Amino acid sequence: MFKSSAVWLLGDQTGRRRLSSRAWRKRVTFYLFISPWVIGFVALYLIPLVLGLLTSTTNYDGTDLAHLKFVRLDNYARAFSDPEAAFTAGRTLLWVALNLPAWLLLSFMLALILNQGLRGRGIFRTLYYLPSVMPAVATVWTWKIFLDNNFGLLAAIVDWILPGAVIPWLTKYALGSMTLVSLWGGLGSGMVIFLAGLQGIPRELEEAARIDGANRLQVFGYVTIPLITPVIFFQLIMGLIGGFQALVIPLLLVSGYSSRTPPRSLYLYMVYTYNQIFVYQRFGYGTALLWILFAVILSLTLLVFATQRHWVHYEVEAEGER
Amino acid sequence: MSVRSKGMSLRKLLGLLISYGVLILVTVVLMLPVFWFLLTSVKAESEFVSWPIRVFPAVPQWSNYVKAVTWFPFARHAWNSFFLATTTSILTIITSSLAGFAFARINVPERNKLFRVIIAMLIVPGIVTLIPQFIVYARLKLTNTYWPWILGALSGSPYFIFMFRQFFTGIPRELEDAAEVDGAGPFRIFWQIFLPNSLPVIATAFIFNFNGVWGDWLMPTLYLTDRNTTLAVKLAQGIRNPHAESVFIYTVSMAGCVIFILPMVITFFLAQRHILQGVVTSGLKG
Repeated sequence: MFKSSAVWLLGDQTGRRRLSSRAWRKRVTFYLFISPWVIGFVALYLIPLVLGLLTSTTNYDGTDLAHLKFVRLDNYARAFSDPEAAFTAGRTLLWVALNLPAWLLLSFMLALILNQGLRGRGIFRTLYYLPSVMPAVATVWTWKIFLDNNFGLLAAIVDWILPGAVIPWLTKYALGSMTLVSLWGGLGSGMVIFLAGLQGIPRELEEAARIDGANRLQVFGYVTIPLITPVIFFQLIMGLIGGFQALVIPLLLVSGYSSRTPPRSLYLYMVYTYNQIFVYQRFGYGTALLWILFAVILSLTLLVFATQRHWVHYEVEAEGER
Repeated sequence: MSVRSKGMSLRKLLGLLISYGVLILVTVVLMLPVFWFLLTSVKAESEFVSWPIRVFPAVPQWSNYVKAVTWFPFARHAWNSFFLATTTSILTIITSSLAGFAFARINVPERNKLFRVIIAMLIVPGIVTLIPQFIVYARLKLTNTYWPWILGALSGSPYFIFMFRQFFTGIPRELEDAAEVDGAGPFRIFWQIFLPNSLPVIATAFIFNFNGVWGDWLMPTLYLTDRNTTLAVKLAQGIRNPHAESVFIYTVSMAGCVIFILPMVITFFLAQRHILQGVVTSGLKG
């Protein structure tokens, strides 16, 4: 009996060991498969992020390590009393406040129109998405020659409607122009995502509402809009994160070929940060500005997430959608 | 749908008219800058800078396109762009699909926690990591090399990991069960069953990454010097006439840009369905 129980125990043990060694092998395989990403995540994200955070507490100028000094939170204190930083932050807020709602509204409207099952909607979808395919450099050139006051097509159209009128698109109204450029390049992708969301709404729901006597407006307000809120939510988050980071378009759109300082109208926060780092070599101050931006984006994102339960509807788990 | 039905009410007709009216108006507004851009690329410079404007060139100046590729080392910079775009695409597809496979099929307890890190990476603003990365690479004296691209691609992309994971999750289990019975290990299953069955995602990831690197202006501006930089950086500076005091020429610059965007526009028309599907799954902009 002792022997048998020993065998039983032993058997159990080898069984367990076999099992655990299988689990262990599985785990090794798992980590082997994801190892490039894990190494990259640590080496290219975590370490630079931490080093960036450390840099923001120093006077680092990009090269000189001999005179590197720890300045505690001086760079942050400076950022909060820097009138230029405040000005550029204000312009950035204005830019996001202009661009984001316009983008959400217009791309949603286009998606609604295209969702009606009209003939030729494929052609329209292709044409609307086409500007999104263009890289920033080509987009900016296209708009520079379109908006130019001396030989642009838009200047000619404006002059034809209001003879003698000159609109300073790329100087005084540069922020508005950037909104146009950005909408032009972004409507396509926004529309495609909304369209996919609209097509995920079960037809039966809308039809059932119609049978119950709801008119088109009511169906739209009580069925379509609530069911599309997860997509609006997603787009809002992505637009928020992207909008605050705007850098390349403003740098290219209004800069001459030598100067990198855009007109005041389009002096966005990231452009200011970029200049602090790469033009004035103020790496410490620049990374502090960067971390402030990160904190702002993160808190806004979390804020939107927190409001989610008041307006985003997840009740209907559409088949295959989630 | 109801366009042909006979008893169409007036209201329906009106709605249809308004819909098409809006669609056509939006098309005109969106295409107007493109139209001007394309026309400029075949104008004589004197026609472009004239006021009142001339919409159409008297004679299309196709020679602008020849000038665009001969007035500066176009081929060299195009090769740099092409090399970076292709190499990073291949590397990032390999590493991202490997990780995507692990997240879809190898079940370990901490899998979901790790996957949440990937999702979190999707919402970390890219610029916040880009500049500290530059500081590190600069200290390692890796600026002015292609290593930042290669290393970045080797670590995979959270977008593509997400995309591959979604796609692999949808592959029926029976396929791999049979292979497992035959004694195939996870790597063979990945390599011989999953990858060959996911050509659409591979194509989508390739196109996104290729376009992203080919069109990128910021990274090459930060890392590369004039000689080894990409086409995007050179075209952002504009094309100058080397025979006439390096005067900046708009029309030739636009011709250069048309050639620059051609690969993207062509692949978009060829693979539109996959690209739009990719935009939807990852929220990525092409």
